Amino acid sequence: MASSHGNSTHSESAKTEQIITEFFAKSLHIILECRSPLMSSRNFSGEQALSSPSSSSSSSSSVRPRDKWFNLALGECPAALENLDLWRQSNFEPVVVDVILVKRGLSRTQSLKESSNAYSSDHEEVLSGSEEKIIERWIVQYDTRKPREKGSTSRRTSSNVLHTLYKKSILLLRSLYATARLLPAYKIFRDLNCSGKLRPFTLTHRLLSFVEPFTRKEESEMQRFSFTPVDTSSGRLCLSVLYHSSVSDASSESSTPMSPQFIPDYVGSPLADPLKRFTSLPVSSPSSLPFSRRHSWSYDRYRASPPAYFSPSPTHSEPPAANALQFGPVNLPPQHPDSSSVHKTNNSYDEYYPSPNFTPSPSPSPPVYMHGNHLSNAALLRTESAPVCIPKLNLQPSLPMNDNNRPSRGSKLDMSTGLPNTGVSVEKLIVKDDSKKHYGTKISAVNSSQCSISRSSSRSFLDDFDDSDFPCHFDVEDDDPMYHGSRPESFDKKSHIGDQMDPQAGGTFPIKKSQDAAVGALVHMLKKAPPLRQELSTSTADSTHVSSIRAEHPLDSSHSVLVASKTTADALEELQGFKRMKDCLLSQGGGTCNVAAGIWK
Amino acid sequence: MNCEVCQLKELEVEHFEIREVLRCILHTIVFHRALGLVRPKVIDLELFDITYVQCGDGELEKKIDEKIEQFISWVEKHPNKKSQVCISFYEVKNKHPSWFTNKTERLYWEQWYINLNVSQQQKVHSGKSHPSKIVVDPGENSLEERSNRRAALESSLREVLFQIIKFVNEKKDHVPPISDGVVYFPYEITIPSSSDSAFGMDMIKRMLQTGHPTMLS
Repeated sequence: MASSHGNSTHSESAKTEQIITEFFAKSLHIILECRSPLMSSRNFSGEQALSSPSSSSSSSSSVRPRDKWFNLALGECPAALENLDLWRQSNFEPVVVDVILVKRGLSRTQSLKESSNAYSSDHEEVLSGSEEKIIERWIVQYDTRKPREKGSTSRRTSSNVLHTLYKKSILLLRSLYATARLLPAYKIFRDLNCSGKLRPFTLTHRLLSFVEPFTRKEESEMQRFSFTPVDTSSGRLCLSVLYHSSVSDASSESSTPMSPQFIPDYVGSPLADPLKRFTSLPVSSPSSLPFSRRHSWSYDRYRASPPAYFSPSPTHSEPPAANALQFGPVNLPPQHPDSSSVHKTNNSYDEYYPSPNFTPSPSPSPPVYMHGNHLSNAALLRTESAPVCIPKLNLQPSLPMNDNNRPSRGSKLDMSTGLPNTGVSVEKLIVKDDSKKHYGTKISAVNSSQCSISRSSSRSFLDDFDDSDFPCHFDVEDDDPMYHGSRPESFDKKSHIGDQMDPQAGGTFPIKKSQDAAVGALVHMLKKAPPLRQELSTSTADSTHVSSIRAEHPLDSSHSVLVASKTTADALEELQGFKRMKDCLLSQGGGTCNVAAGIWK
Repeated sequence: MNCEVCQLKELEVEHFEIREVLRCILHTIVFHRALGLVRPKVIDLELFDITYVQCGDGELEKKIDEKIEQFISWVEKHPNKKSQVCISFYEVKNKHPSWFTNKTERLYWEQWYINLNVSQQQKVHSGKSHPSKIVVDPGENSLEERSNRRAALESSLREVLFQIIKFVNEKKDHVPPISDGVVYFPYEITIPSSSDSAFGMDMIKRMLQTGHPTMLS
């Protein structure tokens, strides 16, 4: 416009143009730097200190030419640069940046890296099962239609005008920088950049030169923040953002599908009732609700995940949880005697793994196993859960002190999930052997389970089992009613079986694939457990384990820390250890508990 | 030159929250008044789920922290009072001001008032150095209260930050031109204690602290 008037004006307009161009570039850079997880991840990893000026102190790295623009030195942001080059050819067309929250499908959760790579480019529809939602829309535009000619403008020297323009652009970009980090979407970005955490969602972006209108509903859900435009001699620079004020909800929703996977396996919170979970899962999907909620909750707690957008939204998790449960029963058929044990293991695994005692659970890998399980995997699972649970769990039940323990019911010790686990795990191992001696160990575990179950029926039943002390934490749970209701069948069986160890029960389970069957299997396990326990107490190895476990109990409150400290590597190691143990057991057939204990050690 | 004034919304804070809240606000303000070359430093608050931006200047950070410490000790001596922290930006008229006199004229072009209402109820529980670890359970009710209160403060704090951003956006004309090599405009932070007997010393100190770096650079 002004270019036709003489040299000075020409150079002025050229400079103005340059400022505008750079303004676009910088805004894009600022936005993408804190919305595009891949690009800015370096800022958080600290690997590339040089290229991450934003996180380092001002004194550090050299100033690149681009940094000088608007006196704002930013990290590298390849995506912004690429996009910018395209934009430069478009003659000041508006830039619309849609920031999109992508919830991954369940199947994809494990391949985070793959998917994130895929996201780096703008448009790719990466996942069939994924769900996209625009959570922010930034609009940067240069509005030339109504240049505002202020009277004062003409009187100023061109350099003054440029200086003012530049200064105001700087101010605008400063506030853009701060605002981008105040908006809710930034939390998601930050969350994604926390290393070592698997997220069921990610952020991607899409750059357009026009606005794809939202539906009314969409628009009504969003809030707008408009930055005050900066006037230039020929137009004005406008910047605005539409954003969801409740993005955290969205991200938490997305997180739920994942949570069932993780949580059941790894995270057991001492607070959550193991029994409840058990029952709820197998019984019916509706009942799984509490289950999922707990899981997600425990997830937050124990994963030491950052503050959490992950707030557990229970509703969405149901389906996955149900799936996880079903898998257990399916596995059963292959191994008849063991099937019950397998089932048990799964349960125990889910429930107890997270317990404070088990520090080893932290790694995400276990969930993978669970899902991936085929028949062959079932064995793995078994072994896995067993070793983990056994050391800690066994100890308590086996202890001669059981009677003494009783008074402590409801105390923190009882709360520790570890105890029940041990019982279950032991069972698995022992079951194969079928030797009555081994049963003793089983019994202890069973006792705990029985206690919970029996308490509704009769206290006396509990009393019969010396081990009952343990179960206390089960008793504490309020959810029991559900438990009972859901598994009347199993309960009956239990009562029938009573003190007897019934290998037969295992046979029945495999046949039934229904949830009821699973419940039945669970009950069965519980029943079996009590007799075994005594044996364990006799074995010296076990007793030592117990003592160590006991020592750990006081730490319950700090269990989360312990859990966090475990790495995936640790978990793998353990798993392998279990495998070995399992093999050993299998080969030995009638092997004794002592051997197993030695291996575990 | 007219002096723009921004009164920030009053925040009800507990003693142990003062430090973070003030840091967050003061740095956010200064960041918007640091028009020289900066490498922004992004800080996540510990007590709140809020991220703010510093201009990545160690000196500045140190001075702000010092000022905050002074304010906190003032609060300890004057409990249960509403208090105000003011950060002002000015231009110095004299090109070569001498540091040890008050001769130089300061033209204030902007003042921000941070209004705090410090409640003392939780002071017993709060440790100075480890504010985030304070959460001992005083019972469920009070826990719930605390988290509610915390959430309320967090959203108020966020509001204040937006208030700053809006102000910065709306008022640009009064901001002095950028001088080369000056990262941030000269500023001073005033806390209630400046009316104490140490006033004179404080003035000199403040001059040294605030005027000095900007002018040198």
